[in-house]
Amino acid sequence: MNYTNQIQEIAAKLFAEGKIDVFVGYRMNGFDDNQVPVLITGPQDVSKLVFTDKSVFNLVNYLKTDHTRKKRVGLVVKGCDSRALNLMLTEKQVKRENLYVVGICCEGVVDDAGQKMQNCLECIVPEAVVYDELLGTAGKAETRAYKVNVDIAALAEKPLTERAAYFEEVFENCIRCNACRHSCPLCYCAKCCIDQETAALYNGANTTSAAFHALMTWSLHLAGRCVDCRNCEKACPSHLPLHLLHKQNESVIYENFQEHLAGVIPDDRGAFYKYSLKDPDDFIM
Amino acid sequence: MNVETFVTDKAGLNKFYEAIMAGHETYAPVEKFGKFDFNRVSRIGECNPESPISKTQSIKPLFFPRSAKVMKYVATSAGTEVSEVDEDPLAGKRVILGAKHCDARALQVLDKVYNWDYIDTDYQKRRENTIIISTRCDKADTHCFCTSLDYDVENLDALDVLVVNGADGKIYLQSRTEKGAEFLQTDVTRHASRVTKEIAAPDLKKQYDSFSGTFRLKMDYKEVNAKLSRIFDTPEFENVSGNCVSCNTCAFVCPTCHCFKISDEKVKDTGVRYKSYDSCNNGYFTLMAGGHNPRPVKYRRWRQRAMHKFVYYKERFGENLCVGCGKCTIACPVNISIFEVVNQVAIGQ
Repeated sequence: MNYTNQIQEIAAKLFAEGKIDVFVGYRMNGFDDNQVPVLITGPQDVSKLVFTDKSVFNLVNYLKTDHTRKKRVGLVVKGCDSRALNLMLTEKQVKRENLYVVGICCEGVVDDAGQKMQNCLECIVPEAVVYDELLGTAGKAETRAYKVNVDIAALAEKPLTERAAYFEEVFENCIRCNACRHSCPLCYCAKCCIDQETAALYNGANTTSAAFHALMTWSLHLAGRCVDCRNCEKACPSHLPLHLLHKQNESVIYENFQEHLAGVIPDDRGAFYKYSLKDPDDFIM
Repeated sequence: MNVETFVTDKAGLNKFYEAIMAGHETYAPVEKFGKFDFNRVSRIGECNPESPISKTQSIKPLFFPRSAKVMKYVATSAGTEVSEVDEDPLAGKRVILGAKHCDARALQVLDKVYNWDYIDTDYQKRRENTIIISTRCDKADTHCFCTSLDYDVENLDALDVLVVNGADGKIYLQSRTEKGAEFLQTDVTRHASRVTKEIAAPDLKKQYDSFSGTFRLKMDYKEVNAKLSRIFDTPEFENVSGNCVSCNTCAFVCPTCHCFKISDEKVKDTGVRYKSYDSCNNGYFTLMAGGHNPRPVKYRRWRQRAMHKFVYYKERFGENLCVGCGKCTIACPVNISIFEVVNQVAIGQ
């Protein structure tokens, strides 16, 4: 998967035609084969842009920064990124007319060790679902049926006490830097509820209970919205398996709410923001 | 100063570590979720004193905990009653194994600010009661640049006992402080044999030379210090901070960052006040009660971070507030390197 040349051409054209103020893409970090997101503001830097299977970070995150707000932005999105973009559009965080979206028919990205990432192995929407221009051949990716995440399935086999002990360890190792939240493209609240200074639940103190409440609240705010891009996991300095929280929510929602997957359909709201007569009601007496 | 030097082998070193664990409160890198953090250990099997530098958190939390209780209080309409917190769990006599040189150096830098206008007695007590045993790295990691900064890595005296992997499986133990020398005179060294420091010197030097030859990153810190201090208003800060996502994790893993916030955990009338880590990259870090924020945009916060590390602290205390460990770069979700940033801004490379 290498779209470097096409993306450079597209960006150069957009700048030449005066259609964008800033282009968000990836560049090489300059010493090994890893990449760094880059915000390009003029045609002189277009040659820095690259796109390969090392282009991991979800760039939709940059639509909430000062560098892109109220500007016309060119943006590269893979399948999962485009789902996040769809939600940003549905939730009125960005205006479609301000964006020029370069969609990718993604074949999966790889981690630092060169292994294909787990979310890519399980991905069922590899092709960008919102774009102005699509790179790659649509329909080429192998079609997969939705499957419960392998780690979730493995954990579900274990007895309750063992599972509880495992998650206790997860919360104990959280250092409360909130990098997961900041790197999430869909966490855009100007003032987050977990940033309170005086509260029993989520004060800044790094107690296990504060970490538990902060992470659980965060995962529930993303229930039915998380697109499994794993920006949070990439950001976590303690290497915590944060996808477990989101994938569990995702599979419960998929099963109970008409196979809902976040951001796949334009203007489709999160599972908890819409009502359908088909929604389960067997929990009501 | 009295310098104690011992030589042993891998098995002897493990026995040395085990003797320490048997007789002292010991902290060492313990692996969890593929990342090493310094925890209390009692057996060598639980920990890895030679954990890879790229996967090891710093020892800072053992001196400046991620969150510490400051006080307890009961606030009712009748008045407020403040009480002391329970005993500091980090204040006892203890030994840290497997600390990295850069982490140990970071404490030396932090000592300056903790002994400045306000003396932090908790921190001081934790420092005084701790013996730091540090293994010199054999190879620099991708983001390491400790040898480019203003301290002598070879003769570092921020650690108490130095461990060096010499040639032919020999392992040297050498005291670097009085405290370390005293520690090596106890029976923990019964599995090692005493040598003079002159005999050990060539091997130590050889190991250091081969280690210092493995650095990818090299810079002239004096040039960076001098140039950065003159270019506060450069637009380059805006360029280099563009792809920062303000996640703050760099400050949380940094062995020298020491900003904190105060927060209360309060249920009805009873509360506990905590002091926990914070970061100058946080949008609300400088937000004042009236709503004014002197650093409202990201590049100004980034500038503060870079300038504090390489200009302000240097001017006030004579040391760089960066030890070149590369932890921030490794933790950064978008791989921003502080080395690259300061060099790009100051020198334009």
